[in-house]
Amino acid sequence: MARITIDPITRIEGHLRIDAVVDGGQVQKAWASGTMWRGIETILRGRDPREAWLFTQRFCGVCTTVHALASVRAVEDALGLEVPLNAQYIRNLIMLAHGLHDHIVHFYHLSALDWVDVTTIPKADPAKAATTAQSLSDWPGNSRQEMARVQKKVVGLVESGQLGIFANGYWGHPAMKLAPEVNLLALAHYLQALEFQRKANQVVGILGGKTPHIQNLAVGGVMNAINLDSLATLNMDRLYMLKDLLDEVVPFVQQVYFPDACAIAGFYPEWFDIGAGVKNYLAVPDLPTDTRSTIFDIPGGTIFDGNLGSVKSISGARDAYFRQSVVEDHTHAWYKGSGALHPWKGETNPDYTDFKDDGKYTWVKAPRFEGKPMQVGPLSNVLVAYAQQHELTRKWTDLALERVSAVAGHRITVDKLQSTMGRYLARAIRAAVLSDLAVRHWQLLVKNVTSGDAHTFNPPSFPKDAVEGVGFHEAPRGALSHWVVVKDGILSNYQAVVPTTWNASPRDERDVPGPYEAALLKNPVANPDKPLELLRTVHSFDPCMACAIHTLDMEGRTTATVKVL
Amino acid sequence: MSTATATRARIAVIGLGNVLFGDDGFGPFVLALLHSRWEFSTDVTLVDVGTPGLDLVTYLQGREAVILVDAVGATGRPGELRRYRNEELTRMPAKPRISPHDPAVQETLLIAQFAGDGPRHVLLIGTIPLSLEQGAGLSAPIHDAASTAAAMVVDELATLGAAPALRPEPVDVDPWWMRAPATPSSHAAR
Repeated sequence: MARITIDPITRIEGHLRIDAVVDGGQVQKAWASGTMWRGIETILRGRDPREAWLFTQRFCGVCTTVHALASVRAVEDALGLEVPLNAQYIRNLIMLAHGLHDHIVHFYHLSALDWVDVTTIPKADPAKAATTAQSLSDWPGNSRQEMARVQKKVVGLVESGQLGIFANGYWGHPAMKLAPEVNLLALAHYLQALEFQRKANQVVGILGGKTPHIQNLAVGGVMNAINLDSLATLNMDRLYMLKDLLDEVVPFVQQVYFPDACAIAGFYPEWFDIGAGVKNYLAVPDLPTDTRSTIFDIPGGTIFDGNLGSVKSISGARDAYFRQSVVEDHTHAWYKGSGALHPWKGETNPDYTDFKDDGKYTWVKAPRFEGKPMQVGPLSNVLVAYAQQHELTRKWTDLALERVSAVAGHRITVDKLQSTMGRYLARAIRAAVLSDLAVRHWQLLVKNVTSGDAHTFNPPSFPKDAVEGVGFHEAPRGALSHWVVVKDGILSNYQAVVPTTWNASPRDERDVPGPYEAALLKNPVANPDKPLELLRTVHSFDPCMACAIHTLDMEGRTTATVKVL
Repeated sequence: MSTATATRARIAVIGLGNVLFGDDGFGPFVLALLHSRWEFSTDVTLVDVGTPGLDLVTYLQGREAVILVDAVGATGRPGELRRYRNEELTRMPAKPRISPHDPAVQETLLIAQFAGDGPRHVLLIGTIPLSLEQGAGLSAPIHDAASTAAAMVVDELATLGAAPALRPEPVDVDPWWMRAPATPSSHAAR
């Protein structure tokens, strides 16, 4: 028996620690722990709600725009403030472009190397890699010359003895199964993806004024001035600049990322039977297309016990089913006392006890929906939309399953998406859906602007009495909600329930584990010294602890330990 | 300046760190200081990138030189300034990553290098933090180090042939994250 602790960063940084007890080649028990205090919301108490989004945008350096957006939506909800159509479309385009950027980066740069063994690439036949790539897609970047060029770069690294960026992979691990040619084509796309994620980010930059921290939001709309004849504003030139970027990013998602994810999933079909974990799913509706935010292009809802037939819709931020059902339990988190509180009543009083297996062991609270742990993220989004007959989700999911089944040689059904590999595949499905919707929302914006509507902002006014609001966003990592209480123009409470809080949640007062902890159970571990399989399941959730800091560690401390019990 | 509309400046000065966590906001503060005292040519762009994790690679690619300003975990007195070049930054032992924040300076430099369009010239100016507790604002020794760090950035730009011009009248250093919270009375006019 062995205990594996993966704790990449030192005590003072805000990261995720995973502990797993392994016996008989399988995980028997797991713990997820956030290692930094998450009370960042207290900074916002007493501040002007109109500037809260500037601060929340700094909660997380990777998910900047999503916290900015959820913040203004929460205040707008508290005030009952409508948002002009142009502002909705501009915000939607920012979200769509950010989502595409984020999913591309997750697949190629953050997780592909869990499945792709770079060190086999020198053995690959570039011509065969090109043929394989061309059989998956008619993307022009799949020539034999391109494959040979990338192979040469890898050969150069291997011969230099310095693997550089690839120095920390679990190379040669028995769970690595792709042919050298498939590894080569995946790495070629890893390099190409750098360019396309940047183009997606440029869309955010044009509309938001700057990246990574956008400047254009306001409670009540956006600050973009629209004047089709003025050079200084959002004019036709800029709108077509966006179109040009989307015309490059959308094909990359549909002709490279999506087919690659399907192929890799098909080569690892056993991972559709691993890592389901918590089979309750929560997604919030997003991409509003009316000023009151009651009509959405992506549906939200819940599914319980893995039964798609149980789907129940969440109609919007005013829906009591969502507003009343969320609590945060802190029984096993480093806060005073135990039990659960609604976010509007949420407290953040630290009580650090060190890591106690059966006591408190994390700074992350345990959000629960109607008392149950929920999985959030692209898989929840896809399942909730699929179960509600969402047309685009159905189109891309059915196509994905057809492709995966063809590679695997046996039928992979939609229920199999409830797994570690299902989370990777669902992210690619969601990216394809978002890419279609990005084109649609660009068209909606252009149509509205050319009809003569230049309105982008409704000024807020604040009542004396306390008002409560919730702003949500179906972010790249899943359902995000910000909960505010505003009194006399000042924030009196602020709680952010972030996607990784749902997924990295600890046990609750009934000792029910959170999604990571449950998904790691029964995970195979061939070699506890190289826990690649654990990283695959953890990475499938795309973890991101909000409010991480960034101090560069110049002394290279050890970070993964295995202790024989 | 949006990243898409501007021609890519050949030199980037990049402030790293979370402004909501005390001395981790050193990099963004040094950038605010630079803006307040100097004017920069179109060769130079100043970017407060926060804590971008892997997304940092976007700000490194296609540059001739980058100057990074950050808080560093090293042994020494709080406020001490350290300088690191490309070779030191990229030869540290790699570590497993879990979240997208984990790949940072080292990994993004290596990715840009592998992609073939990484900066040839890299300097990281770091300070040893005193406090990374939650809250906006720098501790005294780190605040004091910021002026020296800004001068080091200016010197480095001069050797790169892109010395900034001193402003005749410095503007206030007033980053939004260091302003006091609103008070109900300041809202009375509303």
